[in-house]
Amino acid sequence: MSNKAQTYESINFSINGKDKNTYDAIVIGSGISGGWSAKELTEKGLKTLLLERGRNVEHIKDYPTTNMMPWEFEHRERLPLEIVKENPIVSKCYNFKESSAHFFVKDKEHPYVQEKPFDWIRGYQVGGKSLLWARQTQRWSKYDFEGPARDGFAVEWPITYDDIAPWYSHVEKFAGISGNKDGLDILPDGEFLPPHELNCVERYFSQKVAERYKGNRHVIIGRCAHITEPQPIHLQQGRAKCQHRVICERGCPFGGYFASNSSTIPWAMQTGNLTLMPDSVVHSIIYDEQKRKAVGVRVINAQTLTATEYFAKVIFVNASALNTNLILLNSISNRFPNGLGNDSGVLGKYVAFHNYRAGISGQFEGYLDKRTDGRRPNSGYIPRFRNVAKQETDFLRGYAAGFSAGRSTSSDRSGWGEDLKKGLFQNKYGNWYVGSHMMGETIPKETNYVALDPELKDPFGIPQLRINVAYDDNDDKMVKDYLEQMTEMFEMAGFTNIRTRDDRRNPGLDIHEMGGVRMGKDPKTSMLNKWNQIHSVPNVFVTDGACMTSTATQNPSLTYMAFSARAANYAVEELKRKNL
Amino acid sequence: MQRREAIRTLSGIMGAMVALPAWAEKWSVEKIAGPTLLDKGQKMILTSMVDAIIPKTDTPGAAELGVSRFVELMIQDCFETSSQDLLKKGLSNLDSAARTQFGKGFSRLRSSEQLQLIKSFAQGSVQPDRDFVNLVKNLVIQGYTSSEYVMTHITRYELVPARYHGCVSIES
Repeated sequence: MSNKAQTYESINFSINGKDKNTYDAIVIGSGISGGWSAKELTEKGLKTLLLERGRNVEHIKDYPTTNMMPWEFEHRERLPLEIVKENPIVSKCYNFKESSAHFFVKDKEHPYVQEKPFDWIRGYQVGGKSLLWARQTQRWSKYDFEGPARDGFAVEWPITYDDIAPWYSHVEKFAGISGNKDGLDILPDGEFLPPHELNCVERYFSQKVAERYKGNRHVIIGRCAHITEPQPIHLQQGRAKCQHRVICERGCPFGGYFASNSSTIPWAMQTGNLTLMPDSVVHSIIYDEQKRKAVGVRVINAQTLTATEYFAKVIFVNASALNTNLILLNSISNRFPNGLGNDSGVLGKYVAFHNYRAGISGQFEGYLDKRTDGRRPNSGYIPRFRNVAKQETDFLRGYAAGFSAGRSTSSDRSGWGEDLKKGLFQNKYGNWYVGSHMMGETIPKETNYVALDPELKDPFGIPQLRINVAYDDNDDKMVKDYLEQMTEMFEMAGFTNIRTRDDRRNPGLDIHEMGGVRMGKDPKTSMLNKWNQIHSVPNVFVTDGACMTSTATQNPSLTYMAFSARAANYAVEELKRKNL
Repeated sequence: MQRREAIRTLSGIMGAMVALPAWAEKWSVEKIAGPTLLDKGQKMILTSMVDAIIPKTDTPGAAELGVSRFVELMIQDCFETSSQDLLKKGLSNLDSAARTQFGKGFSRLRSSEQLQLIKSFAQGSVQPDRDFVNLVKNLVIQGYTSSEYVMTHITRYELVPARYHGCVSIES
């Protein structure tokens, strides 16, 4: 906090009125993409205001549960029923538990309207969901960027893999990404730190799959944002090697995984160019009709509910995919009566997500003399193998999958008294368990949209978001195919006791919502150009999940980081050229 | 009242959007009141039951490790009223059965007699009694195996393993 006050004062000393609230750049949102925007802009010398709607969370200091032992959680990670009943939405999230509940938005704090069932999982604090993410960081491939054009859905991406590849490298080196150089064109290699290890059964499965499918299907170790071998750039951030605690959602005191809090935000702070302002809910972006550009933002203080305006030459919107939509929809002017930059009418539309409905589990009766040792903050990964080079199935696109195997001792809980006590620690190893879950690409459609509610307001006086997003026939076919293909692969590998599931979870619970402010070549059918600038308001950049034209199958955060860094550097160049 | 206070404090913390530097302190066991679901007599029966299910041997039993408190707290905070009623009724039934069969309260029986009664409930034909014993047994196992003693001295939980090896011998 002292750091923040200091920076704030040093920038604003003895200046009053509008100047006092004026910066070179404003970044809305301090999550994974906003942290990157702020880092790049401040490094290039721009006085930057980073607005965060939630409270401050300082690295280590504000991770209250991070070093707690399992027995120190009164309810052993289960949340009291009263809290579960008050929070039917966020309670569905696998990571909402006693040790991490303080990093999630409770249902009442930010209400929204579900025109169709949608579980909107949010993290409002400095660092956003970068404290809570699953940390999987796979690059997109050319096949992913080419998807919409080849298959005739959404609009064509205005960039190619080659445009983004150097920026993937840029963010990977700084964030610290572990991975194996697998040499797959469907999942390009990156700037990897040493990979985690696949265990015996995962390696076995990988070999069986490679043989059976003749190199067209792959089981590899996931690429993830964990420092497996710190480089000077990580030590300079004050981050250390991942200690394999696998309680990442509490915040990591080692900075072993990438979060804005441990990495980009303190880095930006060190430049002396950052002003971090928590508790600042952005109401809207201010458009100046004379200057024909955005000039600032209206902010509601989350504590006092007072409104203040802040001004800057460039504005980065990194509020999280759906909140970015909300802010733009709520930024109304004579020039833009339907939301900022919304000449095309596509703002809020073509929202998509990842289909995580299906999974499969089984057992393996091999390698019975082997076990694993320690813990791994990562799992195996099966890159997309359907419809890669050409259309092969009755559904569009495809799915990636997680895959992992493990082995634990079983206990005998049947006895009573001393027998029970012995049975609990008999240390007999059972079979290996194997499991997988799907990560399906969904097709962005005009009918999957978000809009402002005409009447309902949130506690800050801002219209509530109406969410109208659902699965379609393509998703159902993909679930069916995933289960068939994985069953075939599991059977081929000799796995037994195979069980499949389709939990029909609501969209949103994947926490990979994307789109609504899509990039595209044509201002008539898209919101953003190839540099993530709003076509008609080029000093506003959108580089979070809202910008996504399509979703591919990869966990999206790495791509948001790369877009943010690329766009921020472009913005700086454009400012130098006096184009903004 | 104490319980409601504790829950309110908890929901207050969890719902708050303010910065709370001293946040962690609020979680400590001492600062959250103990469970108040059961009265003194019921607590005593539950403690005896917990100790019979996992008794003291050359290592501590479940009751000694505070598992009775854990069982009551979990059923109070994390279970529906129906489970809370099931617990209270079950404890009462267990005590009545002790008086009928042995002429004294459950807590005063030898542990072999206590186990005999618990097993008769678990294997009997009265569904609520079976559910009651299952509910308690599952929580006793959870509370015991996740206790500081067991995780420190028996299962040896590592907060910081700092490694993953994917293929080692089960003998190692």
